[in-house]
Amino acid sequence: MTTHMTTQRDNAGGSSFLARLGNLDRRWIFLAMGLSIAVPILLKLRFPEYPSPMSRATFDAVESIPEGAPVLLSFDYDPASAAELQPMASALVHHCASRHQKIVFMALWPLGKQQADKTIETVLKPFHPEYKEGVDYVQLGYQSGNEGVIKLMATNIPAQYPTDASGAALKDLPLVAGMRDLSSFKLIASISAGYPGAKEWVQYANGPMPDAFKVVGGSTGVQVSQLLPYYPHQMEGMLVAVKGAAEYEMLVEGKYPIAQPEVIGQGRVRMGPQLVAHLLMIGLIVLGNIAMVAGRSRGGAR
Amino acid sequence: MNASNTDSNRNSPAPRYTLLWISLVVLSGSLLVLRAAMAAQGDGGAAAADPAAQSLWTTVGIWTAAILTIGVFSFLYRDNPLYKVCESVLIGVSAAYWMVNGFWTSLVPQLFGKLMPGLVREYALPSMPVSTTPGLDFALACVPLILGIMLVWRLAPKGGWISVWPIAMIIGVTAGLKLVSSIESDFMAQLGATMRPLVVMNGGFDFWGTMAALVGVVGVLTVLTYFFFSVEHKGAVGKTARVGVWFLMITFGSAFGLTVMGRITLLAQRFEFLFKDWLHIS
Repeated sequence: MTTHMTTQRDNAGGSSFLARLGNLDRRWIFLAMGLSIAVPILLKLRFPEYPSPMSRATFDAVESIPEGAPVLLSFDYDPASAAELQPMASALVHHCASRHQKIVFMALWPLGKQQADKTIETVLKPFHPEYKEGVDYVQLGYQSGNEGVIKLMATNIPAQYPTDASGAALKDLPLVAGMRDLSSFKLIASISAGYPGAKEWVQYANGPMPDAFKVVGGSTGVQVSQLLPYYPHQMEGMLVAVKGAAEYEMLVEGKYPIAQPEVIGQGRVRMGPQLVAHLLMIGLIVLGNIAMVAGRSRGGAR
Repeated sequence: MNASNTDSNRNSPAPRYTLLWISLVVLSGSLLVLRAAMAAQGDGGAAAADPAAQSLWTTVGIWTAAILTIGVFSFLYRDNPLYKVCESVLIGVSAAYWMVNGFWTSLVPQLFGKLMPGLVREYALPSMPVSTTPGLDFALACVPLILGIMLVWRLAPKGGWISVWPIAMIIGVTAGLKLVSSIESDFMAQLGATMRPLVVMNGGFDFWGTMAALVGVVGVLTVLTYFFFSVEHKGAVGKTARVGVWFLMITFGSAFGLTVMGRITLLAQRFEFLFKDWLHIS
């Protein structure tokens, strides 16, 4: 009798808990999500990353071009996507500079130029002081025209960019003076947040000249599904959101250590909160479904 | 009556919860402001160490960004005036930014710079290169000028049809540009990438490579079947289409997961800003 009553009470308590869960004020969930991200940041939680084939392919694509060969880095994003993309841009610039590649920066997004400037100031100048503007790197800046910019560059770079971002004529800059079209580059990397970006580089640069250079891309999580069909044939490597950035950072730092690891460690820093927040989400989805099923069975019993 | 009461109770949180939430928000807000103010006075260590952090305008910028960030977060509690202000600021700044950006990156260098290069070089873009064919540039720039005027003609009380012609040209040029690239990159190249050996041999039999090839081909065929509406989806076609639906659902789930990852990263970056740059907790 007592056992039966206890079971009944337990059932009532359990169903009451599930009922309350079903009606939980969503602000508790916001608070839990905020804490699940804030606490790992404060505790500096980091977890080991294991490179996925796509991140490894991006690393290998840069490694496979001859040292000192010219590469084109297109910063096709703005500060709104910098949380995901800046870590991979920093790691990519450090990777290219460590291999003494000649780097040409450009942007299809208006604020991409500022993001490229920021990368030059925080990665290239402090950690690769041997890089001289005009000789080892050039900042072309932003030009309006979206995919039209790529299309014209595919046949005539000076027509699209008569000067670099500072106003110096391209013919006066040793690095780009002899460049005619995109085939002058061995690798094109687009760090892309949407349109125009990596997809347009595949369509308008790789499409007409599939064997002239390698194309790699880094993209936000939202855009990845659009780019996946291009990997690995039209795009040799791809960095998938902050996870790809973290993996690529690990590969780059493993081979080319940097004096201040945090400069190319932002991706890994942001993967700590990811794990905790994802665990919370999975837990909430499971609990929510249990509450829903329990609610349905209670409704059915009545 | 009872139902109405129940709805009303659901819509408005219980008073004790409201009090709890307000206390939480006020307490956290006060702690944050106190911490940030102390850090700005040199108590944060990092502020004193970083000369940039001591600059007045940097401090003003960081405080503005922090208040706007918290203002946007405040919507998670409920809609409020601070959130409305932040929303309006964002809309206003974005509209102004794109207008100015369009003027300085398109109109000035691409149009005015070709119609009156001397004037533009004198007053706007001193670094604009000197053209070797100014006459041809002028003639060519007249085309977009005329088309542009025709496009804004729709604002005039009469002759709105004039704007149809430049719109037709925009559509035609865009279609022409997209057609070739789509056939090359999204059709032919994708077909080539799908037509791969189903049994993959890398020295020996590559089990996972073979599985990947099989999943790719089965996915393409079943999803194409799902979108093939000329035949009724029943029998073998229906079952194949059903498999296609599963592939689509997995794709959507994966895309949603990646979107969630992106959003969490954005939130993490905002917290990093608040903790490191504003509160100097590092």
